[in-house]
Amino acid sequence: MLLEARGIAVSYGKVSAIRDISITVPEGKIVTIIGGNGAGKTTTLRALSGMVPIRSGEIRLGGTRIDTLPADRIVAHGIAHVPEGRRIFPDMTVEENLRTGAFLRRDHDKVEKDLADVYARFPRLRERRGQRAQTMSGGEQQMLAIGRALMSDPKILMMDEPSMGLAPVIVEEIAVIIEEINARGLSVVLVEQNAELALDLADQAYVLETGNMALEGPAHELHDNEHVRAAYLGI
Amino acid sequence: MLDLLAQTGLNAVYAASYISLVAVGLVLIFGVMGVLNFAHGELFMAGAYAVVALYADAHLPFFVAVAAGLVFVGLLGLLMERALFRPLKDNPLGGLVASIGFLMILQSLAVMGFGVRMEHIPPVTQQVIEFSEKVRLPVARLYVIVAAVVLLTALWYFLKRTRFGWALRASAQDPEAAALQGISITQTARIAMFIGAALAGVAGALTAPLVSVNPHMGHSVIVTAFIVIIVGGVGSLEGAVIASVVYAVVHTFVTTFFDGVIADITGLSLMLLVLIVKPTGLFGSRERA
Repeated sequence: MLLEARGIAVSYGKVSAIRDISITVPEGKIVTIIGGNGAGKTTTLRALSGMVPIRSGEIRLGGTRIDTLPADRIVAHGIAHVPEGRRIFPDMTVEENLRTGAFLRRDHDKVEKDLADVYARFPRLRERRGQRAQTMSGGEQQMLAIGRALMSDPKILMMDEPSMGLAPVIVEEIAVIIEEINARGLSVVLVEQNAELALDLADQAYVLETGNMALEGPAHELHDNEHVRAAYLGI
Repeated sequence: MLDLLAQTGLNAVYAASYISLVAVGLVLIFGVMGVLNFAHGELFMAGAYAVVALYADAHLPFFVAVAAGLVFVGLLGLLMERALFRPLKDNPLGGLVASIGFLMILQSLAVMGFGVRMEHIPPVTQQVIEFSEKVRLPVARLYVIVAAVVLLTALWYFLKRTRFGWALRASAQDPEAAALQGISITQTARIAMFIGAALAGVAGALTAPLVSVNPHMGHSVIVTAFIVIIVGGVGSLEGAVIASVVYAVVHTFVTTFFDGVIADITGLSLMLLVLIVKPTGLFGSRERA
């Protein structure tokens, strides 16, 4: 198992956000976490990448405990996190944003190759390499955020609501990109409100409700689950 | 008349040089730390006293004293980061109030160590560049201008062309997203505090022989720096440099043709005008850059 979280809990002050959450991410698979607003999806992702401390439980990456490390050290272990709302660096150029994703890397030749790969995958980013990131559209910014994450040469790509605020045609594009990235062997953790999209893409799915794990199983099974269909797919 | 204009222009360039060193440091600290450093004027003062102690009293060469002042005040910046801003980082108002406390400590230390009298610093050089009979630039002022150009160019190169410079800009624009790229926010905070403080220190050290050095000299410096960064747009380094030039030109010319009090009023009015017309400042786009 590549990434394994066991019984993790997070509180903000006295308010408990998630309780006893266990998630496993097998190598090369797409795992999704779905749920409503405030269910704890983002908090779970932030716990995995070290942005918030966990109060109990443990997180292991390839067998190594990472829950005691600060966020900037976890990146070095191979987790790339595309945060909610993209969070690109607005006053830096597209290329500066991408190269910042490779901040920790010393393998400079491979960095240049990965940059060329990102540009090949996202031709729009190549066209706009010298442009300030804040001048781009939402879809382009999402691609930049994904490209920046790929530049850290991760083992796991974690994405928080990549479809948020984007036109349906762009969401389609993002879905294809996620499949392509996964097809090249990268594990993906996808947090989505768009359950239809997420269950289509994922191998394994988790359903969070008010901070608790409500359901888990193969994505296609959850897709046919009565409760999931009623609550999240609107069927 | 042309001579007077040229001479006043030279004076403005000198003023713009040390003001921009102070203001850029203040903006850099605000950008990365999210704290308005009220003690910035006292960091300037500490740089001036480094020259009093090492050059005027201990008779070391002037530039050795200036270099020591730069390092010493940079270290004061590191101390502020560790002792004040890091423990208070979830409390933006706390950092500001703590910096006011630090300002008073530095002032008191200067009073205890040197007394409240004005320090006499022997001139570094009597040399003057004469462009014409009435247009003259003392070489001591030229040092300040050259230092500002060299240091600000070096800073620009550092921020735009080096790995740690990018890390600094990234953490100023979005600290959380920067951490997700593997950038240590503690480390970028240290770098920003050292550079920001050192720039104020070197400005104080270089201008020490040209101004009246006393424990309360930081007051007028911080007021000027605040006006400049508000005009330039809080968070914009380029804005701080350009606003320094604008402010220095306006202030110097009004001082020459009217007097210093009217110049101060004009400077503050300029700030109010900018706040009314463009509240984010001339080059500011958001709250933080």
